[in-house]
Amino acid sequence: MTEQQLITALCNGEETAFKELVNQFSDRVFKAPLGLLQHQQDAEDIAQEVFIQVHRSISQFKGDSLLSTWIYRITVTKSLDHLRSKKRKKRFGFVRSIFGDNNQPIVDPGDLIHPGIIQENKEDAAILFKMVDQLPENQRTAFILNKVEDLSYREIADILKTTESAVDSLLQRAKQNLRKKLSEQINNSP
Amino acid sequence: MENRDKESRIDRIMTSVDGLQKATAPDFFYTRLTGRMQRELDEKSKPFFVLRPAFATAALSILLIVNIIFLTQWNSQPAKDTTAQPGKPATIESFAKAYDMDASSLYE
Repeated sequence: MTEQQLITALCNGEETAFKELVNQFSDRVFKAPLGLLQHQQDAEDIAQEVFIQVHRSISQFKGDSLLSTWIYRITVTKSLDHLRSKKRKKRFGFVRSIFGDNNQPIVDPGDLIHPGIIQENKEDAAILFKMVDQLPENQRTAFILNKVEDLSYREIADILKTTESAVDSLLQRAKQNLRKKLSEQINNSP
Repeated sequence: MENRDKESRIDRIMTSVDGLQKATAPDFFYTRLTGRMQRELDEKSKPFFVLRPAFATAALSILLIVNIIFLTQWNSQPAKDTTAQPGKPATIESFAKAYDMDASSLYE
């Protein structure tokens, strides 16, 4: 099925087309939030929400980009929304903890190291992801899409609706910031 | 030397995600997805929230409380004084009382 045929079939509500869409994109749609959120269950929830959103709004897809680009945009938006919501809960959780909340964790801290990481690199990757988590949102997104999703600058620019040179700039700043944070971390560690 | 070690460590960390193997969506992802879509559809088709038991109970309770307050206020109000009061406009009752024209006097 070509992309256009798939879109037409989805607009007609054909379940086989939807299944085909999920089969084609599920890995990518799962991987991106996994890199951004570093939480397996959250990543699966986000992936489900992305497909539900696609199912609802496929008729609004104008075809001015590739279907994959459109789906990635929804994925990144939902992942970032989830991250912001988690941060708000964390802040509110601190207030709740002052008044006592039976010592229950307010926010699940996440358990993940990306499953695709080689065993011997897991410890270093855990440190890296922790630093990536502290980057500004746009740098973090660009870094994850490039390093984890292995997308080209062109693809990242399409998803973020920016230019390739802007993506390059984001990645350069991300790497500089990461090196700086890692250097501080190493200096402060015993 | 120490600086070189530190830089080398940073380089190792920065490249720890290179050659990342593909992560795949969990097993039965499509089944779980369609299950969730069906659940959301079922939620939407539930009766309008006003008919939900919790809402109905709360609304009736409020109505009952308002009625009780109204009734207790009504009962505690003083009886209307029908005699004419100086400086106050006359009422039908005060006029009838003044001319002895209440119902009992008509039958005497």
